[in-house]
Amino acid sequence: MVDDVKTKEKEVTLESLRKADDNLRLPTVPERTLFPKEIGIAAAREQTPAVGQRATRPDGRLHGLGQTKYIDDMFFPGMLHAKVKRAGIAHAKIKSIDVSEAEKMPGVMATLIGSEFPVNSFGPSLQDQPLLADDIVRHAGDGVAAVAAVTEQQALDALEKIKVEYEELPNVFDPLEAMRDDAYKIHNNESNIYASKTIKKGDVEQGFADSDFIFEKTFTTQMVEHVPLEPHASIAEWDANGRVTVHSSLGRITLGRADISRVLELPINRIRIIATIVGGNFGGKNEITTEPIVALLAKKTGRPVKCVYTREDEFISSTTRHPFVMEYKTGMSKEGKIMARKVRLVCDGGAYCSWSETTLGKACILSAGPYNISNLHVDAYAVYTTKTMTGAMRGFGAPQVCFAYESHMDDMAAALGIEPLEIRLMNAFHEGSASPTGQVLEAVVVEDSLIMASERFGWKEWQK
Amino acid sequence: MTDITLIVNGEEKTASVPPETTLLKMLREDLNYTGAKLGCDVGDCGACTVLVDGMAVNACLMLAGQAEGKKIETIEGLSTLEEYHPIQKAFEDVAALQCGFCGPGMIMSTKALIDQGEDLTKQEIKDALSGNLCRCTGYTKIIEGVIDAYEEITGKKVPEENPRAA
Repeated sequence: MVDDVKTKEKEVTLESLRKADDNLRLPTVPERTLFPKEIGIAAAREQTPAVGQRATRPDGRLHGLGQTKYIDDMFFPGMLHAKVKRAGIAHAKIKSIDVSEAEKMPGVMATLIGSEFPVNSFGPSLQDQPLLADDIVRHAGDGVAAVAAVTEQQALDALEKIKVEYEELPNVFDPLEAMRDDAYKIHNNESNIYASKTIKKGDVEQGFADSDFIFEKTFTTQMVEHVPLEPHASIAEWDANGRVTVHSSLGRITLGRADISRVLELPINRIRIIATIVGGNFGGKNEITTEPIVALLAKKTGRPVKCVYTREDEFISSTTRHPFVMEYKTGMSKEGKIMARKVRLVCDGGAYCSWSETTLGKACILSAGPYNISNLHVDAYAVYTTKTMTGAMRGFGAPQVCFAYESHMDDMAAALGIEPLEIRLMNAFHEGSASPTGQVLEAVVVEDSLIMASERFGWKEWQK
Repeated sequence: MTDITLIVNGEEKTASVPPETTLLKMLREDLNYTGAKLGCDVGDCGACTVLVDGMAVNACLMLAGQAEGKKIETIEGLSTLEEYHPIQKAFEDVAALQCGFCGPGMIMSTKALIDQGEDLTKQEIKDALSGNLCRCTGYTKIIEGVIDAYEEITGKKVPEENPRAA
């Protein structure tokens, strides 16, 4: 009898222990996205030939199931979160940075300032950009210090305790003012113009003299942020062999690796970059941003460190599309033939060069449009201002000038009373035309494309 | 720290989180449901959309505490080991997912819309997804995917839209 009770008690105890054990064990089974073990291949991926058929993406299924691991979906044991303090002031000399209060904040494991980088400058063509500003702040989104803490919230709280003393310097916001000789020199150079390009073809003055009409207009475009849905993000881990592994959403990992090697003075073979699936790039993730910061913080703390930009960081500190000021002067015959064109492009490069040189080149070459112009003169300048820097974005300067030359074309067509499509067909490149830089063009289908497109989308009907 | 219990995709889940924790953070970091994404953290982009008691919600704007005891559906709960969910299938088939970051949010908004059981027009679909941003601009394909999924699930037809009306 007693034995029975004891056995029963034992069973109950065991049962409850097992339950408690199960409960304890529950969280250690990580959640997993469920998906059918065998899903058929999407019909579109089985067909051949590929041309003219429906297409699908190889990674689409994983995206849809929520299985894709973007940087922010990766967690490593002991991982810390880093955040960057932004200057919040457009142009200033940094007198002092005090991180001592931040270091005392709960959860904070390390702080980082610009002077701790072996080489605190980078950039794809000019190395004029600091990773964290240590001497001069050149735009409000410049990072001045970074913090690594146990949680993101702790890192954000600690940023508020960082004290930076500034001595304000004059702001230069207008690119045309920045070009003037008496403008404040943002990078202490002779001029704020840091790249220029010129194209000359034929005799522009003679072309204007031969024209029946001269049209002049200035076009401007605004700054555009890429706004990838996934903010810039990276995770770095330093190992005992002195190697660093960086998980990053960078679009150009080999360039990034070279840049990290330069700024950390680390042999390139000790840097491994693992590119992850990118949640939108559009040109904005073409250069290093957080990578060296997390790398150094990982070295200081001995733990993996993740940094994900906040949406605010994204807007104020990542690169944007260049605002352009585009002055066009075009000489036309009364029949609607372009006789001569003079263009002056001023590209507002913001605080640092980034991809401005490349952008300027492309804008300059394309600024005349796909039109036969025998007399052409283009001057293009990239200028420093104390604004968020501008860099690569879809089209590298081509969309800006396209807006200008096509708007200009419409204005001229209206003034001359010529149908807009007609005036374009009259001037468009054809087989064997020479581009502004003298390249002889082959397989030119501008005219065909214009005619076909206008027929397809109902250009004539729309005009009525 | 506060103990919060959610019913995620039919399973009861408890975690101890600081009171300021959002539903999104709790799902992603404490419960490992990383399908919902953090895009803007201010409720503009909809990448964090999950269903709370059947309603599409920006999980970045809802505190975990507000969801205590509620039924949460995430992207992880749609397909099972046996069945591929028709919305996910439709999105894959029409290539509505490019970088894919907005995908889980789009799909959850779509689910909330189709679950309402109402007849839909293309315009209503567009309106219902207006809280979900796509920056690769796959909108055309996304709307196409929603229409396919809706027709597949309900057996109804979305009326052809007069292209000139818009």
